[in-house]
Amino acid sequence: MSDESHKDCCANSAGEPTATRSTVPMWIIVVTLILLFVGGVYFDHHGGWFSPKIYAPFNSAEEVEAYQPKSGEAAARARGKVVYDSVCGICHGPDGLGKPGQAPKLAGSEWVITKGMNRLAHIPLQGISGPIKVAGQDWNMNMAAMGAALPDEDLAAVLSYIRTSWGNKAAPITAEDLKKIRSEVGNGALPMTGDQMMKLPE
Amino acid sequence: MNLNDNKLSTEAEINASLRVSVLALLGGAAVWLVVGLALGIVASLTFHKPDMFASCSLLTYGRVAPAANDALLYGFCMPAGLGVILWIFARLGQTPLALPIVPVVAANLWHLGVFLGLAGILIGETSGHTWLEFSRAASVLLFAAFLLIAVTAAATFGARRDRELQPAHWFLFAALLWFPWIYSTANLLLATNSPVRGVVQPIIGWWFTNNLIFVWLALVGVGTAFYLLPKISTRPLATTGYALFSFLTLVFFGAWCGIPAGAPVPAWLPTLSGLAGGLLLVPLVAIAIIVIQTVRGAKVAYSGGPFCFTKIGMIFFIISGLMYVSLACPKYSRVLEFTWFSPAQVQLQLLGFFAMIMFGAIYELLPRVMNAPLPFPKFAKLHFFLALAGVALFVIPLAIAGVEQGIKLHDANLAFADVNAAAVLFFRISTTGQLILLLGALLFALNIFVMTIQWKIALLKTALAAIKAPLPVSEVKA
Repeated sequence: MSDESHKDCCANSAGEPTATRSTVPMWIIVVTLILLFVGGVYFDHHGGWFSPKIYAPFNSAEEVEAYQPKSGEAAARARGKVVYDSVCGICHGPDGLGKPGQAPKLAGSEWVITKGMNRLAHIPLQGISGPIKVAGQDWNMNMAAMGAALPDEDLAAVLSYIRTSWGNKAAPITAEDLKKIRSEVGNGALPMTGDQMMKLPE
Repeated sequence: MNLNDNKLSTEAEINASLRVSVLALLGGAAVWLVVGLALGIVASLTFHKPDMFASCSLLTYGRVAPAANDALLYGFCMPAGLGVILWIFARLGQTPLALPIVPVVAANLWHLGVFLGLAGILIGETSGHTWLEFSRAASVLLFAAFLLIAVTAAATFGARRDRELQPAHWFLFAALLWFPWIYSTANLLLATNSPVRGVVQPIIGWWFTNNLIFVWLALVGVGTAFYLLPKISTRPLATTGYALFSFLTLVFFGAWCGIPAGAPVPAWLPTLSGLAGGLLLVPLVAIAIIVIQTVRGAKVAYSGGPFCFTKIGMIFFIISGLMYVSLACPKYSRVLEFTWFSPAQVQLQLLGFFAMIMFGAIYELLPRVMNAPLPFPKFAKLHFFLALAGVALFVIPLAIAGVEQGIKLHDANLAFADVNAAAVLFFRISTTGQLILLLGALLFALNIFVMTIQWKIALLKTALAAIKAPLPVSEVKA
């Protein structure tokens, strides 16, 4: 063995060093490829794919977008979603499809996609009780005045949200309009029945 | 045809052709090593007694610290590396140095450039970019000198009689191409009248620093070690496969590193840089395997000689490389950035890894090239232990101070001033290390200079003897 290495060493006639001939060992190529793969996954998670707009600690364009301050319609919509999820969605469902035995659905409901917002706004402001018909289904339940305690902006935002979500395509509501309706309803109004509601202008 | 005669004459020819060039490069390098270490001590003293040089703008920390680093890198490391490259190319190629006068001119240009650059820094004429502090005139001189030496090295390489390429060739030739590329790019983009603007500046700065301090030094240092280790141990380098792989991965992944994980730049830059830093583990492992397999069981008679310098240099390279990888890893970088850890890594790379390999190469080549023994071989041996102790005392406390500082900086209850003051104890040790390093460097310079003087005296004596000798008598004797 030492003889062999000595011969290798002195292959160069001048006594200058040489190197043992060999190919690149396979294991180190495999290790490198594994590291490259792990590195690729790491880059995919943290690198933001070369976007000049993404800085640490954010990892993707969606994440940056989610943290952007909203303005105008988008801000109202985002606010509406927050209020809906914390107040209405518990019974009406996060997808607006309602829950059997708890609350009727809002998606495609004729109570929601009305032309104006007068009748719809009365429901959370005043509450509703007794038998009603929603999208061909009969309901006989009570809903308290869940929106009476909400600020005008929030209630307007959430009503606009349910009127424009899950396939609903009705005009949104402004806080000013809502303020007017609220003053008409007044404080401590009793819940109306469905029939009474139906008589209100849309 | 008598092959033996041919070989013998070539051996003497090679050494003679290298003599003046190598002395010009290494002599100046030894001076700058002493100057750089002395300036480094002046910079450190500022931490022990902040008002020590308050009245002398020349010696304020902001000027002395970059001057010390530049003197070490551009003054010592690079000319020493270039001298060693010329020697290795001539030795491996079994050919005398091509264009032997060119490196002499280039060496003088280079050292003049370093002198102008350092003087500029001390009087306040600098660019403000790390490792690019030299004034424009000095940078142009360095660039021109490097090109001249690179051309000489390439010509020697092209004229090689032994046509086979060795691993050392790959590393060293790549280094000759690497520096002109990065130095011209960084200078043109940062140090001209209309530099790039904004966030691109630090990005180019980091790229340049990484390619100079990590990649260039690694190419030259590892290439030299891949020549010295098999040569001194009289065993072949084990093996070409690992060497090829370490070379390719070092060049490929090394070039992407250097952007700090916490850098305020688009996320893909530090992410890619960190990923390349992790992949640096591959060449580090490959190089460690080569070194271990090559030197294991090798019997080399003397301690403290070139072999020890080279081995310890490679150990420090692996440690410095691992420290570099840890700086690239976001998890550790969060603690280590903005602390003394990073300067500790740079100093380990310069003084622990590169300088050690160069000392080994120079102690190996000098007696052969000069055709005379070292004047003080015991000093060379002592230099090894001083260099080892100096690096350990200089770098280890700084690294520990960095880790401690990083952990304390994350504690909101500790005052910033207290965190920094806690590092003073470590500075006391590391400054001691610098003093020991300086002592070792003085012994190194002494060997080179006494050798040069002896050689010049011998030249003078020969010349005098030739003039004085009564011609007829010599003819009679003959």
